[in-house]
Amino acid sequence: MPEVVIDNPELARQFEPYAEAHIPGARNLRVVQMRRIHGGASRQTYSVDIAYEDATGPKTKGVILRRDPADSLIDTERRVEFAAIRTAHGKAGIPAPEALFLETDTGPLGAPFFVMGRIEGGMPLNPFQIDAVEPHRAEVGREFFRHLGAIASLEIDGTPIAEEIETPAPDQCWKRELDYWANEIRTNAREPQPVAEAAIRYLAANPPPPAQKLSLVHGDFRSGNFLHDGQGRINAVLDWEMAHIGDPYEDLAWATDLLWCGNDQERAAGFIPWPDAIAVWQEASGCSFDPAAFEWWSLFAHLKGLGIWITSARAFADGKNDDPILAWSGWFTHAAHELMLASRLAPKFGVKL
Amino acid sequence: MSDVGMILQRLGATLVNEVAPKLEGDYSGGHASMAGLMAVMAGEMWEKEADLLVNEIGRMKALLAAAGIGEAEPHIESFLISDLKAMRNELAMQLIELQASLEAKDDEGSKALNTQIWGHLLATCAGRMPSPPAFGAAGEGEG
Repeated sequence: MPEVVIDNPELARQFEPYAEAHIPGARNLRVVQMRRIHGGASRQTYSVDIAYEDATGPKTKGVILRRDPADSLIDTERRVEFAAIRTAHGKAGIPAPEALFLETDTGPLGAPFFVMGRIEGGMPLNPFQIDAVEPHRAEVGREFFRHLGAIASLEIDGTPIAEEIETPAPDQCWKRELDYWANEIRTNAREPQPVAEAAIRYLAANPPPPAQKLSLVHGDFRSGNFLHDGQGRINAVLDWEMAHIGDPYEDLAWATDLLWCGNDQERAAGFIPWPDAIAVWQEASGCSFDPAAFEWWSLFAHLKGLGIWITSARAFADGKNDDPILAWSGWFTHAAHELMLASRLAPKFGVKL
Repeated sequence: MSDVGMILQRLGATLVNEVAPKLEGDYSGGHASMAGLMAVMAGEMWEKEADLLVNEIGRMKALLAAAGIGEAEPHIESFLISDLKAMRNELAMQLIELQASLEAKDDEGSKALNTQIWGHLLATCAGRMPSPPAFGAAGEGEG
């Protein structure tokens, strides 16, 4: 018999009446398992098993509870994340979880939260240990770029995400993102950031082409944010907290950022050869690959990374969140992205490598 | 015993290889792994931080002096890491302003000095890049 674990008994007690009230016809609902799980530094994430009865008899269900912490990696509204999941769930074969409840009031659980259906039978892939996916590297890679393209292919008019946030003009996607992350960096940096500042100036002075289309942008699509079944199939795309509407190249560039490639520059995202990845993405997204757009957005991906890691470091240093992942992100991954930016920008200004 | 680098290296290895596996399945297991990895990184940085800062200060002083800002000599009065960082940060702010002003100019001298600044930035980033983490027991921590 499996061990019963309730990592947070008080939270479980608070969650029981809430869930019972929000599942139609449910009664005698109880939490039978609640484990806090990793991969959720931006929100406290719990895997929860509930048992209840309804008119048809006893039921069990696995859900994921995402509750806002005192601080998080990213200051985003859970309402947008919830809307993004609703937009993608069940569309174009994208394995997004089912969005169940959203609660923006702090009353029921002490902080805003939302609940998703749990996708069973998947395992995460550490972006720093991509070899662990063998012998299914190529199959997972093709799934990875197919889902990435599928997200970009969705029509956004009238979708939950389009009702929740503004849709930028095609020629303003880059500026909105650059302004946002420049502000995050300048607001949260604990030390001067000469490389980031130089990158901001360079990107502003050399904008990309307008977006070929406006799409749902996952915002953090990469190794580490999906589950796979160990047989070459991706069965969950997770962590939608940075989702927005914008240029599909933002996702393509972030997903293939060198940080997530296991230092493998020959294979896109560390999975499959670049031409294969681009072909799969083009077919699934309906976009055509434009090297100039990719060049800008891939430089921007390094800068966006700096913005995330600087925000992480600030949250840790200020004592708002003691999760060591924030300190590690603020140090190691910050250093990695800063070196990538400097290595790519320095030659543009005459430095011979 | 004040061999800080060695002590942190050993503490980190203990956390990653001994403590974290015993906490597998518990959220704190991930914390132990990450703390262990960072102890190793801290030991590495403890050894080289003063050297990095003194070199960064020296290079920035020289770059600013080449633009007529201040003297090239560093004149370092305190080698406390916190004092060196404060000095480095002040110079870095000046360097950001200088570089932005150079980018707005089109003469060869400005371009050449900007190239030198980029050389300094690249060297600084390369010097500060920690050794790759020895993931293993710490595998589930990234998020």
